[in-house]
Amino acid sequence: MKVSYQWLSDYVNLADVSPQALADKLTSAGLAVDAVEPRNKGVSGVVVGEIVSAEQHPNADRLRVCMVDAGTGEQLQIVCGAPNARAGLRVPVALPGATLPGGVQIRRTKLRGVESNGMLCSAAEIGLETRLLPSGQTTGLFVLPTETPIGEDIVKVLCLDDVVLDIDLTPNRSDCFSIRGLVHEVAAILRCTHSFPESVEAPTGTGEAPIAIDLATELCPRYETQVLDGIQQVASPLWMQMRLVAMGIRTIDLVVDVTNYVMLEWGQPLHAFDADSIAQSRIVVRQARDGEALVTLDGQQRMLTRDMIVISDPEKAIGLAGVMGGENSEITSSTRRIAIESARFDGSSVRRTGQRLGLRSEAQQRFEKGIDPAAVTPALARATALLVELAGATPIGPAVAVQQKESATGLRQVPFVPERCREALGFAISNDEIENIFHALGFAVRSQDTPWLVEVPSRRPDVTLTADLYEEIARLHGYDNIPSTTTVLPVTPGMRDRRQAMLARARVLLVDMGLYEVRTYALTSPDALAPLAASYQPIPLLLPMSDERRVLRTHLLPSLTEVAVHNLAHQVPGGAIFEIGKSYLTTNLPLREQPREREVIAMLWFGESEGTLYEKTRRYDFYDAKGVLDRLLAVFGTDVSYVRSSMPWLHPGRSADIVADGETIGVIGELHPDTAAQFGVARAVYAELDVALLLATYQGEIQAKGLPKFPGSRRDIAIVVDRATLVGDLLTTARHSLEASGLLQGIGVFDVYAGEGVPDGKKSVAISMFFQDAERTLTDDEIEQLVKTATEALRVDHDARLRS
Amino acid sequence: MDMEALIVQLGRLQETALSELREISATRDLAHWRVQYLGKKSELNALSKQMGSLGQEERPLFGERVNEVRKALEEAYAQRQTALAAAEQALRLAQETIDITLPGRAVCKGAIHPISRVIQEIEDIFLGMGFSIVDGPEVETDHYNFELLNLPKDHPARDMQDTFYLSDELLLRTHTSPMQVRTMERMEGHIPIKVIVPGRVYRRDEDDATHSHQFTQIEGLVVGEGIRMSDLKGTLEAFAKALFGPEQRVRLRPSYFPFTEPSAEVDLLCVHCHGEGCRVCKGTGWIEILGAGMVHPRVLDMSGYDSNRYSGFAFGMGPERIAMLRYGISDIRLLYQNDLRFLAQFARA
Ligand SMILES: [Zn+2]
Repeated sequence: MKVSYQWLSDYVNLADVSPQALADKLTSAGLAVDAVEPRNKGVSGVVVGEIVSAEQHPNADRLRVCMVDAGTGEQLQIVCGAPNARAGLRVPVALPGATLPGGVQIRRTKLRGVESNGMLCSAAEIGLETRLLPSGQTTGLFVLPTETPIGEDIVKVLCLDDVVLDIDLTPNRSDCFSIRGLVHEVAAILRCTHSFPESVEAPTGTGEAPIAIDLATELCPRYETQVLDGIQQVASPLWMQMRLVAMGIRTIDLVVDVTNYVMLEWGQPLHAFDADSIAQSRIVVRQARDGEALVTLDGQQRMLTRDMIVISDPEKAIGLAGVMGGENSEITSSTRRIAIESARFDGSSVRRTGQRLGLRSEAQQRFEKGIDPAAVTPALARATALLVELAGATPIGPAVAVQQKESATGLRQVPFVPERCREALGFAISNDEIENIFHALGFAVRSQDTPWLVEVPSRRPDVTLTADLYEEIARLHGYDNIPSTTTVLPVTPGMRDRRQAMLARARVLLVDMGLYEVRTYALTSPDALAPLAASYQPIPLLLPMSDERRVLRTHLLPSLTEVAVHNLAHQVPGGAIFEIGKSYLTTNLPLREQPREREVIAMLWFGESEGTLYEKTRRYDFYDAKGVLDRLLAVFGTDVSYVRSSMPWLHPGRSADIVADGETIGVIGELHPDTAAQFGVARAVYAELDVALLLATYQGEIQAKGLPKFPGSRRDIAIVVDRATLVGDLLTTARHSLEASGLLQGIGVFDVYAGEGVPDGKKSVAISMFFQDAERTLTDDEIEQLVKTATEALRVDHDARLRS
Repeated sequence: MDMEALIVQLGRLQETALSELREISATRDLAHWRVQYLGKKSELNALSKQMGSLGQEERPLFGERVNEVRKALEEAYAQRQTALAAAEQALRLAQETIDITLPGRAVCKGAIHPISRVIQEIEDIFLGMGFSIVDGPEVETDHYNFELLNLPKDHPARDMQDTFYLSDELLLRTHTSPMQVRTMERMEGHIPIKVIVPGRVYRRDEDDATHSHQFTQIEGLVVGEGIRMSDLKGTLEAFAKALFGPEQRVRLRPSYFPFTEPSAEVDLLCVHCHGEGCRVCKGTGWIEILGAGMVHPRVLDMSGYDSNRYSGFAFGMGPERIAMLRYGISDIRLLYQNDLRFLAQFARA
């Protein structure tokens, strides 16, 4: 909301409050001022002058040589290129020595051999926003009204000494969408009086009202109109034009300007239309009929729906309430009588209508935010008075006002207990000071018993609850005056739960093992998910912003490969990344309930390792990933086995399901070459762990054992098996065979070899076993027996031969 | 032989031995010298055996002399051996010198994402103040995301255009605030509630240097009896000092959120100029970092906490903004591009 400082000072004494000081005070009170902009963009030395004569330049077709009376005592010869330069016009004249916006200095000069003593200015040259001016004023010389005094400083004439405050209004403060509301607010902040009127006396015409009104919808609680005759189609006065422009409103013609001016002043949107276009002299405010059409002022045919409010007569619609008038009731040069409408329309309906039709006018925004019922009548009176004064109009009959019965609103009384207020805010403030603040706001304290009853005027619809009053007290007392205190609450331990602690640990662990954490978008495209051929259909957005981000991911792999592709394309030869993130799974589309949000730790190794002095650059492989997983799972105390995976998007020979207690808690594997190609990565290894399932494997607290009293013994065996035999299966067999003895404390593989000395199709596997008894030292014979048991089991299950 | 001659011989022997010892330059040659001059078959031993040929009174004198010589040779030997060993070790160590500027063998790289870094730090601060952390769903219902937060349908502060809807009733949460309600419902009227909620949120914003359609928020909620607005200020001040240093200050400005009343924007002293005024803070000396307020009585009531008895405060902040301020990041897209060259800068603890 842009607001004119001068307009405010019409009603509040701002002599001691500079625009910047006012901005600071407004900001501290909750009306954040984003900018304080002087209207004058650098104009000085420009005065009003009259072109006495305009002759063709002897040496240039497009230039005129003008003689100008700028009140300097002598006529100035000024060369001018504007096509509209002609004798009799009053225009801004930049005298020699003048400055224009952008630091332009005006000097005496010669143009094509003819002396020029200054410059005649266009609107843009003196810093006016041409988009806000009537079409005739946007190019060529800026033409001033003929009665503008010659020699007068243009800064004064065009109110360029005004300053505009740009306020970022919060949605609750619809009241401040007007000079009226801001005057009340400024007076409350400054704790001073103001002279903004409660009501306006307007001249009324004689005789009966020429128009009757039917309110045929509850969406219009009140409708008023005044018919006026004898409107002179004259330009709006400069001061009015300049105030509209200062507040960002386009000036058009006197009638429209007056309706906008009153809207800015009172916050009440007005609409003017041709009173003679109303059939049977009867206005009917009703909801549109399905299939009804209306050509609006912009010439567009609009299809209406039932929830829109139309202004109509008994025969036809003539306007869309609060949004735009109809072409059939537009004021034209042949219009004899006009009707001014001042009404309240349901904000939601206006908002929906505007959205449906792609319109968003100043009036519409005010209806959406809600307008003050108390402003409807005075705003109409104010507009009538201005049109009588400025356009020589004559009111016909009195204003007509119709109101829904039940919408007669009493003033709100909000209960308030000063002690509770002090407790809620946490600072000391006297009852007197509280009363002063209410008084400054224009709130009346009706009862001083407990609770107080605070009467809130209708212009403050945001204040309905006691807490709203607390906020008024706090912000006008000053948030800066709120002390810092400590809550008085029972002591609570602050700690991460097991999942949070596990994820925090996992993050650090993975980073320490050389992985980079990434954070990717949950929104992706069906195409990106396609290579996974997943069993879940992704959940689509109703209104996506782009094709690339229009469904929720069902898997993290595409997100991670996207990161890989970006990096590979930007001189990063490879790396290891992980994300702790979610996929969104449902089997029920279209979506009816919240989907399952599956949280995973997803990891990807892509491209080549960086390579060091000690280890050459190489492609990341399955075992890089498995090493990380092993460590991660060891830290969480999770025992898993790796079982060949059947995920179609993974390499069938280089992938595994990660199984704990019979439950698949994750997957690991090199991407299938086809999948990798589809994702645009040459080769990559992916691994993921389901966080909830991982958490469920928690074994409880560590149970420590004492140290062994008797020494243990290590035995190594080397066996030859088929090359396809899985080492994991060998270890399982050996472990099982010795389970009953209870003496095997550890088993592991320390060498796998195929080649010379080992038959074709076979491999040699070296296994070490560690035996220990808690009660005694094992004898060599006993140990030999144990080794034999294992060897025999390996022979039976895997045709394993001891390597000689 | 007379003693004089023997003593002369002893002297000569000592001289020869010591002179030869001085010539030896490697410890491995010392053993030979030791055998020659101090061994069983050494000349010294042979000479000492001559003692029998001396007179009774001469023997002690001669014996003493022999011992002197032996002791001298042994000491010299020991000294020489120490010196040679030291020299040899010094030489060996010199030969073993490596280039200590070459990289170490453990070359793991990796870094926590800057957003996680900030979130973790903020979590730790609030954990220290006795808050716990809760997580919630990212796909929310309109009911929790808006209506229970005092944003009924058609509320002017609710802009449909800002929200990714999945159906009429389901959407990607636009803030972490629905967890205020979910937490209160879960606590079923028990107090105190002291939680923070970090999490991903979504808005229908075009991605640019300062906007991201996905970002993170940390919500805070405290509910109890007698919670005051000054408690909110005190809590946020303690937080700000912990995060940005003891000289930090907070400034509350009145603002509007549908689910708090009174509401406040919370500014911190500009982290760049410390209040002097600079480009980052647009000359004001303050930067906006949080939205906060007292939990709206309607929200309390809707969540099962009688607003006449209980009160609370809530706040919300953006880890992206804090990360950008803290690490001097000017484009939010860098945080979601995941370029490893960018992320590598956060390897430092
Ligand atoms: Zn600064």
